[in-house]
Amino acid sequence: MQEPIYVIIRTLALFSIVWLSIRLIGKRNISRVKPFNFMSYIVLAIVATLMSLNLIDLISGFIVLLTWLVLPIALDYLSIKSEAIHQLINGKETVLIKHGKIMEENLIQVRMTGEDLLAELRSKNIFNMTDVEFAVMETNGEINAYLKSDKKPVSAHDLGEKVAPQAEPQTVIMDGNFLNEPLSSLGLNQEWLKVELDKMGVALENVFLAQVDSSGDLFLDLFDDAVEIPQPKVKELLYANLEKIQADLSTFSLQTDDKTAKGMYLRNSQKFENLLDKLRPYLLN
Amino acid sequence: MTVASQVKQTLASLKGARGTLNMYSVQTRDDETQSVYTNSLEIADTIINDLEDRLKTLEFEEPQYKGN
Repeated sequence: MQEPIYVIIRTLALFSIVWLSIRLIGKRNISRVKPFNFMSYIVLAIVATLMSLNLIDLISGFIVLLTWLVLPIALDYLSIKSEAIHQLINGKETVLIKHGKIMEENLIQVRMTGEDLLAELRSKNIFNMTDVEFAVMETNGEINAYLKSDKKPVSAHDLGEKVAPQAEPQTVIMDGNFLNEPLSSLGLNQEWLKVELDKMGVALENVFLAQVDSSGDLFLDLFDDAVEIPQPKVKELLYANLEKIQADLSTFSLQTDDKTAKGMYLRNSQKFENLLDKLRPYLLN
Repeated sequence: MTVASQVKQTLASLKGARGTLNMYSVQTRDDETQSVYTNSLEIADTIINDLEDRLKTLEFEEPQYKGN
């Protein structure tokens, strides 16, 4: 009767130790882990299992655990401090495609066939090998590709378009409950949110998710999908309004016979046109 | 509709648009966006002033339409 309880206690203790060790070694997704750290995870797991099954005695087990815990941490620390040690431990990334040409020797060195490389590129949505300017295999085995400049996705910068900076939206209601922290980080409070919900005619309990974007507009998703809620169109409306005012101003300038008034209308209508150009990226996006 | 009332209408919608712009300029947290909005507000203000002046002249010229 003693034995099973003993095993349970020992396993629990070891479980906490291994959990703690893995937290100490580092915070990384297991698929992104460096080969060397992966080794230490496996050794830690095996030794812990052997210890809890009493196949090796506790003292030497702990020594092995400690060594495999301290060494990776020490080496990680050293590799942060020194580039040479970093390369020694983790190896160096391998260039697979350079100036659009596949480096066959490097491909052999990382033991990949052409088909493997193509498959990796396809998984990155690159189906045409000639689109790639540069590709590299990182030390964790992942392949990253840099596309030729004419094959890269178009950005606003390429088009010469100005776009308004947008911060991430904050989630302010979840499952019908206010989330106070995101609200206060926007400088808003529950009262504001209540007023906004009233404006849309929606009860708080009916809201599944609500987000506020960086310009302070509220977007909702309701539990009751049959209810249609108006999505904020204030900015588009504002822009349309401004356009109408501008049109009015130029109409007035054409209608009036008064010289000074004509000049005033014309000047203002031009000012307004510049204003519209400037506001366009902020109001229409 | 007289000219004066047309100008009044435009003035009213400009004031409304100015209010909405003001709201956005207060709400935004981005400095660049804020400066664009404040700049727009200034321009809107000068145009509002011009239109109000023009409206006074119009009402002086055509007092029979005053208040429409």
